[in-house]
Amino acid sequence: MSVQRRFSKFLGLAAVGALTVGLAACSSGGDGGSESGGDSGELTTVGFVAVGPEGAWREANETNIQDTFTKDAGFDLKYAPATNLDQKSQIDAFTSFVDEGVDVILLSATEASGWEDSLERAQEAEIPVILLDRGIEPDDTSLYVTRIAPDNVEVAKEVGAWAVEQFPDGGNYITLEGPAGVGVVNERNEGWNESVEGSALVQVAAQTANWSAEEGKSVTETLLKANGNDVQLIFAQNDEMGLGAAQAVEEAGLEPGVDVKIATIDGTKAAMQALADGQLSYVHEYNPLFGDTALDVVNKTLDGESVDSYIIVPSEAFDSAEAAQAVLADRKY
Amino acid sequence: MSTAARTTWLRELIRKPFFWGVIAIFALLALNVIKDPNYLALSVNPVNGNLVGNVVDILRASAPILMIAVGMSLVIATGGIDLSVGSVMAVSGAVAMVFMKDAGQSGSVGVALGAIGLALLVSAILGAINGVLVAYIGLQPFISTLIMMLAGRGIAKVITEGQNTSATNDPFRWIANGFVIGLPVVFLFAIIIVIIVGLVVRRSALGLMIEAIGINPKASRMAGIKPTGLLLTVYILSAVLAGVAGIMSVGTVMTVDVSRTGYQMELDAILAVVIGGTSLAGGKFSIGGAVVGALLIATLDKTIVFLGISSSATPAFKAIVIVVLCLLQSDRVRGWFVQRRKPPMLRTPSLPAEPKKQEVSA
Repeated sequence: MSVQRRFSKFLGLAAVGALTVGLAACSSGGDGGSESGGDSGELTTVGFVAVGPEGAWREANETNIQDTFTKDAGFDLKYAPATNLDQKSQIDAFTSFVDEGVDVILLSATEASGWEDSLERAQEAEIPVILLDRGIEPDDTSLYVTRIAPDNVEVAKEVGAWAVEQFPDGGNYITLEGPAGVGVVNERNEGWNESVEGSALVQVAAQTANWSAEEGKSVTETLLKANGNDVQLIFAQNDEMGLGAAQAVEEAGLEPGVDVKIATIDGTKAAMQALADGQLSYVHEYNPLFGDTALDVVNKTLDGESVDSYIIVPSEAFDSAEAAQAVLADRKY
Repeated sequence: MSTAARTTWLRELIRKPFFWGVIAIFALLALNVIKDPNYLALSVNPVNGNLVGNVVDILRASAPILMIAVGMSLVIATGGIDLSVGSVMAVSGAVAMVFMKDAGQSGSVGVALGAIGLALLVSAILGAINGVLVAYIGLQPFISTLIMMLAGRGIAKVITEGQNTSATNDPFRWIANGFVIGLPVVFLFAIIIVIIVGLVVRRSALGLMIEAIGINPKASRMAGIKPTGLLLTVYILSAVLAGVAGIMSVGTVMTVDVSRTGYQMELDAILAVVIGGTSLAGGKFSIGGAVVGALLIATLDKTIVFLGISSSATPAFKAIVIVVLCLLQSDRVRGWFVQRRKPPMLRTPSLPAEPKKQEVSA
């Protein structure tokens, strides 16, 4: 009995705590609102339904958006990150932006499906919606203005083209994939295969290493042994796995970059460093910094100009230590 | 007579749950040998004299699982469960990496020891929180460690500010990647720790008391065993061992990946314990069994990669191996097979054979 009472007291305390946090969040949001109300003459209100904390890439992406749509640039950005990547919280934020009557909504959906109703409401309220990074399913382009994102298929295709060019006489390669069934993995495989098909490159193994350096190392170590170290190329679908693979290659007595070339996608700072040190041979960035493109699109949309329904963000490729060295100093993520 | 003695000895052996674990390890190794006859070959790296081979890789991969499986088997023996070991691994790894990074990338042994000490201390604190919640407040172990499992990953993210953090420190790296007289350090460490824990638990009354709590907490309390202190000790020990596993795990690549380090390792640990023949209901436990279980899981993971099973089929393959193993371990299932094979033989001799049959099917 007493335990129960104590427990309920504890629960109460926790609830109060949660409420306080919630109120604090509210009040800070309110502050932003009233401030913008004061001098709203010129400011354009932009509601940003964001993904929130997810990793280095996402952080770079959302900070970039926030840094672009500043008050100085004539915008009042309302940033609404999802709680725990939950779509429900995103839909709530989206709806409240529509009710408030913001001028534009930017949306990075945590999940692709289930957005039709919300987007239709925005359309009725004549609020343009711009998708950032993540697309929606089914992809009904009449419901939004445009989607701005780097293209996974395109990026992977370029990696594949580099590989084919590096190994004109062919060679054996390993693919380190992300978790099976994830959209990004399928797209990166699709792009890669498009380039590599018909070339002399032979895929001796493809395994998931779950985006992780540790598993990347462990999987590579075994795959090298399974193929008697007869592997000339490793395609790692993200930087982390590639970095792990480089260590496994070294431990197998091979030299990364000479005996085994490793190509990765993402272009984080750690990978650039490894490229500069000769551990990796090729890093293709998956560019998170497209705030300027988004700004441009928002301005055009508000002026009534039409834009393409899909804008691909250009991503750079780095294929030498010098190229990596050059950008390393001011790499943001 | 001697053949009869041998068959009873064999029967006893088959009865041991981890016997089938050992068989499964050999079966998996055999599967690999079929794919590549040189699978078991060990060679010596001419440069540094280290042993190189798939078996060495398996031993290295098994080290972190060994640590958490031993800790888990003690927790399970008390009738509890520790779901937080994976997250504790991440926290421990995060603490060690951030400490070494802040210490300025020096390669000194002192920094490595400091990182290890701090990581284990933080792990012990997390374990103590689990222990207090279970032993003194009386929350269910499942719930309290579930809280720690969720909170732990959050703590790890706070420590590393959400970033995957890497550091360089050769002594620390040596723990996970080094070799002593040709053998991997990480496995030697793991085995030494297992032996120490085993000796402490089995040579003192500690193991007996832990089993007593698991079998019947009320009766053991009446017999004068205080459960609170023991429970606290067991949860702290489990967390510290998870901390060691975390250090081994991040040491291999010198990077802590806050969302992946130790991810779902608690399930591997529980599986290892169950394969080793410890009942999830608590009570009797077998550290030797947990060791077999951990080795089996490492072998299974490596086999999947070696055989080139496609990544979408990996979970299914793993599940099938484990289900078959659990079926073999079940007395009842084995009983069916024996009965089905034996009846004609058993029916011909008269009644005396009857008790023997019952013994088999029991």
